[in-house]
Amino acid sequence: MVKAARVVSPAIRVEAAPGGLAGRFQAMASPCEVLVDGADGAELARITGIVAAEVWRIEQHWSRYRNDNVVHRINTAGGRPLTVDAETAQFLDYAAKLHEWSGGLFDVTSGVLRRAWKFDGSDRLPSAGQVNALLPLVGWDKVSWSAPRLQMPMGMEIDFGGIGKEYAVDRACALAGHATRHAVLVNCGGDLASSGPRAGGEPWQVGIDAGGIGAAAALVRLAQGGVATSGDAHRFLLKDGVRYPHVLDPRTGWPVTGGPRAITVAAATCTEAGVLSTVALLHGAGAEDFLEDAGADYTLTW
Amino acid sequence: MQLKRKRLAAATLSLLGAAVAPGPASALDLELPSEQLSKKWEFDTGMLVYSEAGGRVQAVEPVLKATRLFGQDRALTVKAVVDTLTGASPNGAAPASTPQTFTGPSGQGTYTANPGEAPLDDSFKDTRVALSADYVFPVSANGKFSYGLNGSKEYDFLSAGANARYSHDFNQHNTTLSLGLSYEADQISPVGGAPVPLSLMPPPLPPPPPGPEPEPEPEDGEGGSAETKGVTDLVLGLTQVLDPNSLVQFNYSLSTSSGYHDDPYKVLSVVGADGEPLRYVYEARPDARTKHALFARYKRFVFSSDVFDVSYRFMTDDWGVQSSTVDSLYRWNYNDRSYLEPHLRWYTQTAADFYRAALYDGEEATVDFASADPRLGAFSGYTFGLKYGHEMPSGNSWSARLEYYQQTGEREGVPEQAAAGLEKFKLEPDLSAVMFTVGYRFKW
Repeated sequence: MVKAARVVSPAIRVEAAPGGLAGRFQAMASPCEVLVDGADGAELARITGIVAAEVWRIEQHWSRYRNDNVVHRINTAGGRPLTVDAETAQFLDYAAKLHEWSGGLFDVTSGVLRRAWKFDGSDRLPSAGQVNALLPLVGWDKVSWSAPRLQMPMGMEIDFGGIGKEYAVDRACALAGHATRHAVLVNCGGDLASSGPRAGGEPWQVGIDAGGIGAAAALVRLAQGGVATSGDAHRFLLKDGVRYPHVLDPRTGWPVTGGPRAITVAAATCTEAGVLSTVALLHGAGAEDFLEDAGADYTLTW
Repeated sequence: MQLKRKRLAAATLSLLGAAVAPGPASALDLELPSEQLSKKWEFDTGMLVYSEAGGRVQAVEPVLKATRLFGQDRALTVKAVVDTLTGASPNGAAPASTPQTFTGPSGQGTYTANPGEAPLDDSFKDTRVALSADYVFPVSANGKFSYGLNGSKEYDFLSAGANARYSHDFNQHNTTLSLGLSYEADQISPVGGAPVPLSLMPPPLPPPPPGPEPEPEPEDGEGGSAETKGVTDLVLGLTQVLDPNSLVQFNYSLSTSSGYHDDPYKVLSVVGADGEPLRYVYEARPDARTKHALFARYKRFVFSSDVFDVSYRFMTDDWGVQSSTVDSLYRWNYNDRSYLEPHLRWYTQTAADFYRAALYDGEEATVDFASADPRLGAFSGYTFGLKYGHEMPSGNSWSARLEYYQQTGEREGVPEQAAAGLEKFKLEPDLSAVMFTVGYRFKW
């Protein structure tokens, strides 16, 4: 009696979705969905395979939970210099530009602050001492980077989690868009990219859950480009009525309070949208001003 | 600030390359929160109607399954099933040349079989309620764990079980290995108590003399002695993706059970050389059973949108039953919203070592085990089915399935001394049934 999912791999499924079929898989701790306008099931399965392969490749390459990749080599270098691959080098170049562009708000070295901050919905804030002890290990300006050679002080780490998923969505969508004459939409947990409008110029319509905030789901109409969402969703601390979201200001080591709970931004690419939403969230109560100044398409959930 | 935005766009372009970053900014529209999209529950509802030919078992079975997704690959599934069974089922006795009358299980009431017909116990009526809950969650990037609880209750039967399963992806998610373990505890409280195996079934009392109706004995399933059974299942599975369009799956399962395996309402005829019944005895089965099963499935996309699925299952157990099942279905997605799914299944099994169509006079004192339950006999069966499914613009979908089952039994377990006398009776466990299922799936 159940309309069975067409399983083409243990990890890739082709299933009925509102308005047609969707290819689905899991990556980067998110459900991922691929829509291919006007394609049949086999074509959708093929394109989903291409998308999944690329997203999984980037996940393996940059996951900080693995011990066999370049991020692990960087984070265990113990102060010694090392040479990174070309793709990682390009990404570090981008990270360096973003650090400068955002006035230090966007920083791929801020991950070590997680040692003090456990965003589990509780009221257990770390002490100022705990946070201050970690600050010497945070800051892109302490890193010596000249592609492809990277050297960081002992104890520092990098983490591409802040923007790696958006990059993967853009790359996978582009690869898929080249592999089929149909328009493609890739959606990994609300970070999405489209290779072009649907047949007849119709926009894609995608529901964004704003990271699990529930009722605050937004319907996004996207012809081409990318959309990304940043928010504290379930990951926050709550003490004395103040909500501390999981995005940490790398300059102080503390969360920025008083801002929106979620920000969804649209831009030419998912990566650009992700940078805008992440940096906007770090502006706290000034998020909207930042987005207005940037001329961004956005929606906020307070 | 617009200049600043251009710098970001330029930096992103150099990261992704012109091939990825489209030139003009996207045409885009963000809308306010929409109720439709915040739905977290998915419901599968269904209703099965099962009808055996010849006034035998009729069942109506509503099913409700609800799945709650918790974001990242976590899901809770709860399921409720209610079965209502009515009709008549063979009590195991062989046909006879004269009418045969039996006492109902409660000692109250009787049922009678016409000459030449297999006796059917029509006092059989039951409602079963079953509940289960399962939770699945990731334990690592490649590992998933699930556990669940289940229980069911009938008039004379109570069951409770627990299960756990772990699956792990290898080889870029192209290979999945899984291990599952489950345990179920059953309690059977036969109406009127569990009979002593191979003991005589009491003959029906003559109708009571006219006068005041005697107080009926309270019919209480709990009143009889309770018997128990425990079942442990172990399943090892391997799924391998062959290419983007096909996969194979292999399972090995081991099932061991111990405790009370008898059907307390089933009897055997004890016959003379003429094949006519002298008396009836209750059946007796071993108190343990071990089953091994191997399962293989091949599934692939065909003709760009359709799915072909074929599987084979072999089972062998220490009761002497061996079975083979070939199951195949073809899903024809003839447009984006509708499909037709023909289904063909073939099943065959050998009889249990102790399956007997009847016992010869005195034999009941010499055998350890005997059962005339048709489900332990040798038979083959076909199922033909067709399913239609349709998805509505809302994303909700419904389906309807009609299936026909035809079972042909083999003549086995006939006592030699009475073979000539039983020649005139049909002893093969034949059966045919029609099943109709409707389903509706929606989000909430």
